[in-house]
Amino acid sequence: MTPSAPKTIWSATVNKKSFELLINSNAVLLDVLRDQVGTLGVKRGCDLGTCGCCTVMVDGEPRLSCLCLAGQVSDTAITTVEGLANGAHLAPIQACFAKYGGSQCGFCTPGFLVASQALLDDNPSPTDQEIADAIEGNLCRCTGYQQIIESIQEAAKIHRGEVAHPQPASDPHPDPHPDGPGEPSMPPGHAK
Amino acid sequence: MSAGYRQQPGNRSSKRTDGKRVAGKQVFPPPGSGGSRPVMKERDLDFIPESVGGKEPQPAGSHIHDRIRTGTVVGKSLSLVDSNAKVTGQAWYGDDVRLPNETIGKILRSPHHYAKIKSIDTSRVEALPGVISVATGQDAANSFGVLPVTKDEHAMAVEKVRHMGDLVACVCAETEAIAIEALSLFDIEWEVLEPVFDRKMGLEDVDEPIHWRGKYHLSRTNVQKRVFQEFGDRSLVDNPHAASHGKWSMEGVHHGFTEPHAVVAHWDPNGRLQLYTPQQVPHYTHRALSTVLDVPMHQINVIRTFVGGGFGGKSDPFPHEMCAAILSRKSGRPVRITFDREEVYWINRGRHPSDIEVKMTADDVGRISGFDIDALIDGGGFASFGHVTSYYNGVLATAPYELGSFHYTGARVWTNKPASGAMRGHGAVNTRCAVEVGLDEMAEQMAVDPIDLRLANLLPPHSRTITGFRITSNGMREALEEVRDGSKWDEKFRQLPLGKGIGVGCGFFISGSGLPIHWDPNRFPHATVHIQVDMDGGVTVHTGAADIGQGSTTAVAQVVAEVLALPIEMIHVRSHESDTAPVDLGSYSSRVTFMNANAAIRAALEIREQILNAAWDILGYHPNTLVLNDRRIYYKHDPSIGVSYLKALHKAQEDKGSLIASGAYRSPPMGGVHKGAAAGLAPAYSFSAYVAEVDVDVELGLVKCTNVWAAHDCGKALNPLAVKGQIIGSCHMGLGQVLSEKMVYGRTGHLQNANLLEYKIPSVHEMPHVVPIIIESCDPEGPFGAKEAGEGPLLPILPAVVNAVYDAVGVRFRDLPLTPDIVYKGIERKRKSLKLDDCLELPNPRLEHGPMQEVLVARANEHKTRDKARQRTEDTSHYVNGVLFGFDPNIPLEDQVDGWRMATEPDPEQLAELGLAGKAWLKKTQREMGRDD
Ligand code: FES
Ligand code: FES
Repeated sequence: MTPSAPKTIWSATVNKKSFELLINSNAVLLDVLRDQVGTLGVKRGCDLGTCGCCTVMVDGEPRLSCLCLAGQVSDTAITTVEGLANGAHLAPIQACFAKYGGSQCGFCTPGFLVASQALLDDNPSPTDQEIADAIEGNLCRCTGYQQIIESIQEAAKIHRGEVAHPQPASDPHPDPHPDGPGEPSMPPGHAK
Repeated sequence: MSAGYRQQPGNRSSKRTDGKRVAGKQVFPPPGSGGSRPVMKERDLDFIPESVGGKEPQPAGSHIHDRIRTGTVVGKSLSLVDSNAKVTGQAWYGDDVRLPNETIGKILRSPHHYAKIKSIDTSRVEALPGVISVATGQDAANSFGVLPVTKDEHAMAVEKVRHMGDLVACVCAETEAIAIEALSLFDIEWEVLEPVFDRKMGLEDVDEPIHWRGKYHLSRTNVQKRVFQEFGDRSLVDNPHAASHGKWSMEGVHHGFTEPHAVVAHWDPNGRLQLYTPQQVPHYTHRALSTVLDVPMHQINVIRTFVGGGFGGKSDPFPHEMCAAILSRKSGRPVRITFDREEVYWINRGRHPSDIEVKMTADDVGRISGFDIDALIDGGGFASFGHVTSYYNGVLATAPYELGSFHYTGARVWTNKPASGAMRGHGAVNTRCAVEVGLDEMAEQMAVDPIDLRLANLLPPHSRTITGFRITSNGMREALEEVRDGSKWDEKFRQLPLGKGIGVGCGFFISGSGLPIHWDPNRFPHATVHIQVDMDGGVTVHTGAADIGQGSTTAVAQVVAEVLALPIEMIHVRSHESDTAPVDLGSYSSRVTFMNANAAIRAALEIREQILNAAWDILGYHPNTLVLNDRRIYYKHDPSIGVSYLKALHKAQEDKGSLIASGAYRSPPMGGVHKGAAAGLAPAYSFSAYVAEVDVDVELGLVKCTNVWAAHDCGKALNPLAVKGQIIGSCHMGLGQVLSEKMVYGRTGHLQNANLLEYKIPSVHEMPHVVPIIIESCDPEGPFGAKEAGEGPLLPILPAVVNAVYDAVGVRFRDLPLTPDIVYKGIERKRKSLKLDDCLELPNPRLEHGPMQEVLVARANEHKTRDKARQRTEDTSHYVNGVLFGFDPNIPLEDQVDGWRMATEPDPEQLAELGLAGKAWLKKTQREMGRDD
């Protein structure tokens, strides 16, 4: 929250969509993203640069949006957690956070995802230490970080092409019809 | 079963004509009965005795629910069912609820620690353009509180403020800027009162106690609750072979969840309140709203948003929730209130700052003859869960060990600080740390290995603790053995070089509180779950269970999928709204998975039965001979005879449309009858054992925990991935408490670190490598054998680290957290006392096994065989705490030992020797003083 100030026009690309908004000239990026752009996936945990929940990518660099005036990043390309997925297909990092327990309550998750995506874009083969350095500004109170690091390592494997991207989890369930398999299934251990 | 117990809750037990004991009538089936008895019969305690859990010998690892297992999902590592919403940023937390035409609310907080409000003038606030509504304490005079016995909170201060940051007034405006400006326009006349910050001073009489309890008030002190408990044979503690005596001082810690509190209230056009809040316990908020607003509960819909971490910190009904509702009622518009990080600390409810004194003794064969615990805990300005915490500090330390006697005095005092409350490991963490470190010290005196000391004193499965808690499954021994092997303990303990250390600690925690706080469990069950299956075959589960990130929604979905043999994608859990969810007590005391999943199993079994009956109609084979597999039902002996799930479902729906079932869970009768017997009572208990390795910088006092082997007995891991996540997360939180986290109150009583920069939560760099080890003891009553895994795993990390620091530098620390200044001072003191020039010359402790070691190892081995037989229910004899001391479990102990104590009030001659908190017993209540105003 900031004292009132003259209005100014702010333009930027957020998640590949361009915006032109009338903002307070002293508006903080986090407020603009949440209240005006509508990317509510960017979380506010502290407003003081201490939790990392508000991390977004500005031209590919991770940045704490609560410590950044919107005016400083006008005419940049901003990516929030909403911009990581490819349409309905989760990005590898998202799929891995879901699959390997990188997210419990999920409040810190957007910040971690953005920070680790920025890392993987830079360095698809990070060591555990490099990962720790990349996420040191992000607090997670639920997971104890261990499964987050595992998730990032798994995503790195996908980035390096060592493992296939798992069936994108947000695809419809491949067998939505509850009628079941056509052939009778055998009970386990039943030889006929 | 000894005569000293009666079922509680419940009716007195009656005898059948054949002489068997039965419990009173139960409307709901006993948990774990597996559902083969469609109509509930009277519970036959000899069939599922209180302390046995099934008559038939069962191999270890099998469980009464096993016969309904379909092998679908239980025991598989699954991602949380809501994880896709979380990783795409679509999960909606408190502040993400944006309703059209919303206004922004702000709260005016007290600038004084303790003051009377003489007048509030809001005229300047109301005159500010853009202000919509203003409210003060006068708008809501009804008090509320999470426990019905201590309703001492108001939406806003009515007569006085009780701590800095206490709520005084609130306002809503068109924009946040206007609302903040409005806060500066209140004109308030204060009468400042003398505050109390020191918890020891809370025991003294003062002119103006922080709360007044009328005839129950203890003299004129600030004591909110005092507890005395004494059990066992006190003569055993005389002439101890080893003894430990420690005085601890522990700072308050905060949950530190990442999502600050937020609430959105909206009175809809029908005059109903819709309240969105990230709550662990939406039902209590629901009740409190009804009381405070004088609106019937059915006119309120509490909608739980996603919860960005709770850990106990979002389980009280909160005054700001009331404020939002009041403002919304006044303004007719939605009101959104979001806390900043500082406000989160003002509302607090974190772990109690505590002074704990523990004396313990062991006899000449290494049995623990006595635990004496005294705990003075600082409650801050309000009661919150404190009534329960006062008990938990003592009673949850009585297991997993067999004790000769137990003596506990506890007191919780009000001070002019933000209120303490429930936090992960509620009430058990601090004393557990003190007790486990005491055991380490006694082991050293006896020259034995501390793990062997523990192994030789464990209560077996299916037994009773000294205060009468019923232990069913018990994986304590296995947990200790696992961490001993995993950490290569025997090669490291007392053998590492100076500055490197290894230590052990154990834990014991409830898996759901046995008594629902707000109602008589004879009248309502603990948990209810509804299931609905419509023509499409999808299963909708309605539950009030509040998923706060621990994955309870996933657990409920899993057990339903398991019973119905459906892929988990076909199970849809709806748990957000009180309008559609059956009443549920929410997420606290680690009850959700145990109770809700049990209720869900019951409901799912009903659906399963309807579907199988329909298949019977179609196939002509009795349901007993039918097998449910992935969306197909077939004849056991010829799988080619079968029918699809959907066909059977449609058949079942012919006459009644969609299938609907309701399942409920209530805890079985259990526990003692003494005052406070219900505190700590749970249908099952979890056990854990950790070994931690630390590096201590001997010159700087910096402690780093490097490795943790963390074994937790969760009964059965429904979802191993989630259980491991809970174990590692618990390590993280406990590590914060033992090494870096504290709420710092300055000399003026002001909270000095209400932000995440100075309140030091471990970052990724401080995390050790944790090896989570899951122990499965298969609880006879848990859902598919499961017990809790959310809180218990926090307990052992504290003592494990403190013990490891001793192993590294030979100094016993009893002030938490172990910040470098404290460790440095301790090392310096030791260096000076040994007259060394350099702290790098400090001798670190070594262990030469004494004669007792053999005795303990022999006993531990004997007990291992005993425990195995009991776990497998090959041995179903009764076992109560005291058998190790030679008592007969079949005769009430008080008939066997002269002077066997079971007291909840001190004898007059004891008064002189009570500890710090025990001093509260020197005071009289107003009633006893002849006043009853
Ligand atoms: S909200 Fe930006 S770092 Fe916490
Ligand atoms: S998942 Fe809850 S804070 Fe990280």
